Amino acid sequence: MCVGIALAWSELPTELIRRHNLERRVHERGGEREVRFLYRDRQPRLPIWRDGRLQIVRWGNGRVQSRLLPPTGWTWQATVEEGYWRNLDAVLVDIPASLGFERGVWFRIRQGIRGVLVPDEHGVAVVYMICEPSSHYYQIMTRSTRMPILIDERI
Amino acid sequence: MKAAGVKTGEPIWEALVKCSGGIYVKRDFRWYEVLSRLMRDLVHETSTRVEYYSIDEFFFQAEGRGERSFQDLAEMMRDRIWDRMGIPVTVGIARTRTLAKLISDAAKPHGALAVMGKEAEDAYRADKPVTEITGIAGRRAARLAPWGIASCLDLARADRRLVRKLLTASGETLWWELNGEPVQAIHSKRPAHKALSRGGSFGESTAEPVVLYAWLVRNLERLIEELRFHQVAAGRLTVVVRYKSGLTGAGVAAPAVPSDRFDVLLETARPCLRRAWMRGEPATHMHLIAENLASRGQCAPGLFDPPAQRVQAEAVARVKERINDRHGRFSLRSAATLYLPAIYRDVANAYDICDVRGKICF
Repeated sequence: MCVGIALAWSELPTELIRRHNLERRVHERGGEREVRFLYRDRQPRLPIWRDGRLQIVRWGNGRVQSRLLPPTGWTWQATVEEGYWRNLDAVLVDIPASLGFERGVWFRIRQGIRGVLVPDEHGVAVVYMICEPSSHYYQIMTRSTRMPILIDERI
Repeated sequence: MKAAGVKTGEPIWEALVKCSGGIYVKRDFRWYEVLSRLMRDLVHETSTRVEYYSIDEFFFQAEGRGERSFQDLAEMMRDRIWDRMGIPVTVGIARTRTLAKLISDAAKPHGALAVMGKEAEDAYRADKPVTEITGIAGRRAARLAPWGIASCLDLARADRRLVRKLLTASGETLWWELNGEPVQAIHSKRPAHKALSRGGSFGESTAEPVVLYAWLVRNLERLIEELRFHQVAAGRLTVVVRYKSGLTGAGVAAPAVPSDRFDVLLETARPCLRRAWMRGEPATHMHLIAENLASRGQCAPGLFDPPAQRVQAEAVARVKERINDRHGRFSLRSAATLYLPAIYRDVANAYDICDVRGKICF
């Protein structure tokens, strides 16, 4: 499972950085600043594009804040296709990312990752990353059996 | 990552230990070719004679002009590529190709160095093992070792006749080059191929005969593309299969007359695969090699090849070419390759490093 993403600092509006206190997530890599969104963070968050706006929302339900939503941060593509999320008023969203992180490996992402956005019983927006079985390349690279669904890209 | 000690071809899990912050990017040979050709054009701006050696290496005839020294030229070339393309390169200038390569390796990373003259060269030759020279690997180095030849300087100072005896004429060529005598030409145009081959790793090992056959057909279709591009026909085919156990199987056969036809070459390659196949052994690589290349227009038609069949096969080949030119490579392909859906789904497999034409080296 992809447990983190990174986005270049320049990709995020200053207003969003301030509002969500993203400075604490800033890291430097090769002289470039990037914002890392990790699932293991005490407040797991992900950026999403919805209705033409970039927003920062809660990533999954790992701390079981909701009794309604599954206690994870990922969902299978097959589950989405079976209509499980339709009953929860979920919508498909794009998660912008320039890098993904899995089992210690940072890998390039051209555009982003597909996700589903769903409200919990308190009306809080929660995003789940959509996964599929790993391609052979991804499995060799990360030794993981599932990979995120990348937008217009296959690795 | 290089600074952290990560070497070319190192597995990711080993590289991770040395450089945890590294970023892993899937290959994209179309993009590499664009960059490679841009870089070659930039080198051409300062030299009329450029050899496209490999996707990221060029040899050029250094031309000193007016007040400009070779050191200035090396620096200018490095800076120009950095400014216009943002790619860090190393430039080495010396009296011969072999020395220039050694000196450019010594100037890595992002260096520019011109070393002219015997004494200055000695400093670079003394501390470099002979294996640093392109053309001398483990086995040749082992042949030199009992004679006390370990460094490039040792080789340069060794007796020429001894080097010829140990490493044949190609070794003697390197000896001249190391001593500053340019004997290897700079080829601004690639010499005609003596052999063409297609193949490589399967990614995932397989022991399934139908999957192996699918790979044979895929490699043959790629090989035929190349034969037709160079307007040559294959006089002999070799199929090499490498197995996970370390074993290698091979089969060689020749068509009745040199050919670039799919049906003829497939009939030739099929028994080769049968000979190379080891039942139940998971295979990891396959290579299909065409040799005894004959110019396409000069091949005699086969005595037992009905003219109507030949015309029909040629027509089918043309239609296939046109459809693939218009709709993308492998849009029309043999149904035998349907056993490789993941390979064709992944666009990275549509273009490989060997598809970058015109370079001397693989």
